Amino acid sequence: MKFVCQSDNTVMEFVETVNAENGGSMSITFQCPTCGRAVAMVTNAGETQMVRSLGVTIGGAASPEPMAMIRSALSGQEAPVQTSAGPEPVWSEAALKRLAAAPTFVQGMIRRIYSDYARQKGYTEITPAVMSEARDTLGMTGM
Amino acid sequence: MDKSNVLGQVVAQRERIGARLAQVKRVIAIMSGKGGVGKSALTANLAAALALEGKAVGVLDADIHGASAAAMLGARGQKLEITSDGVRPAIGVCDIRVMSMDLFLPDDDTPVRWQHPGGLAADAFVWRGSLEANAVREFISDTEWGDLDYLLLDLPPGADRFDTVARLVPQLQNLSTGGAVVVTIPSQVSHLVVRRAIAAAHEAGAGLIGLVENMAGYVNATGEVAGELFPAGRGAAFAEEIGVPHLGSIPFDPRLAHETDNGRPFILEHAESAAGRAILKIAETL
Repeated sequence: MKFVCQSDNTVMEFVETVNAENGGSMSITFQCPTCGRAVAMVTNAGETQMVRSLGVTIGGAASPEPMAMIRSALSGQEAPVQTSAGPEPVWSEAALKRLAAAPTFVQGMIRRIYSDYARQKGYTEITPAVMSEARDTLGMTGM
Repeated sequence: MDKSNVLGQVVAQRERIGARLAQVKRVIAIMSGKGGVGKSALTANLAAALALEGKAVGVLDADIHGASAAAMLGARGQKLEITSDGVRPAIGVCDIRVMSMDLFLPDDDTPVRWQHPGGLAADAFVWRGSLEANAVREFISDTEWGDLDYLLLDLPPGADRFDTVARLVPQLQNLSTGGAVVVTIPSQVSHLVVRRAIAAAHEAGAGLIGLVENMAGYVNATGEVAGELFPAGRGAAFAEEIGVPHLGSIPFDPRLAHETDNGRPFILEHAESAAGRAILKIAETL
């Protein structure tokens, strides 16, 4: 959508987007670069929602957050998503040996669970003691 | 200058999908116009069968409201993690990477509910389809899939579903890079619905890998076919009639339902059964 300043026959430039506090509408301001006249378009709630559903941002977004649309559009619930908790911890030989005792097809899952636990706790190395602590804390059995 | 550049943002979305899928050798959509034919269980078992062959496999659960892939692959309860490159997928059995709406919901009692401006709940149908298509887009482009041999897309029922993903994933339109596997059961009603779904997929330019007939008979205690659930022998004839390769017929094995409910694909422990052999044979065709 474009707006043209009729005085100067110039395409107006986007200036800013202001979202209403209830998220139901937003105003989008454009200004003539020549004479400075401004015009604001106000969307109604349905139009605002339609824009949101396209996964685009009025006013532009240099680098959208991953899964931004899903995380912002889910209603009344906080998605169980966390930001990265640091580098992957190192596995000790003894911990790897204990991991190898699990059935092959679940080793990747178990590794992920222990790695996530260690990173959240700030541990840089996974040892059998860390595995036991995680198992007890997370209520896992048979790992 | 138009800072919004909506068209540019849409182009950037497509470019992110292209960059992400450049690391994926084959993309396979498991589809059927009909619900309840076993698409998700088949997807989970095909993923496991491919992983057992040493392939790197991802499963994208495109069924937003009926998400089940995380449960079937033992990946529920894992916290998704945002990194500089996207969102790390959950890890299921056999190291299968899983992305599903199930992983975004806080508990078992919470359905997918999209925000809508106050007073517009009745109009939600207007934008719901667009929101959900974009959710699938984000699953594809924003998940750290890494290098994959196979990305399996578990599509929801509905004749139009393939068209939605095919517009996002051009690999589905070329048999050298992927395509669609269509699932049916041996009932005339299923065939009617599936026939229409295949016609819609053809219109969307689908590369049709073939047809899988699920619940083709049932098995006895030893896992061998013992009788029919529906009139038998229709799968191959139906496939020929609609001009699609018949990839195989899978008998109904109660253990498949049991294992799937427990987050462990049936194929892991019952590869020698009639259903297991059929699934392995189908996996070879992908």
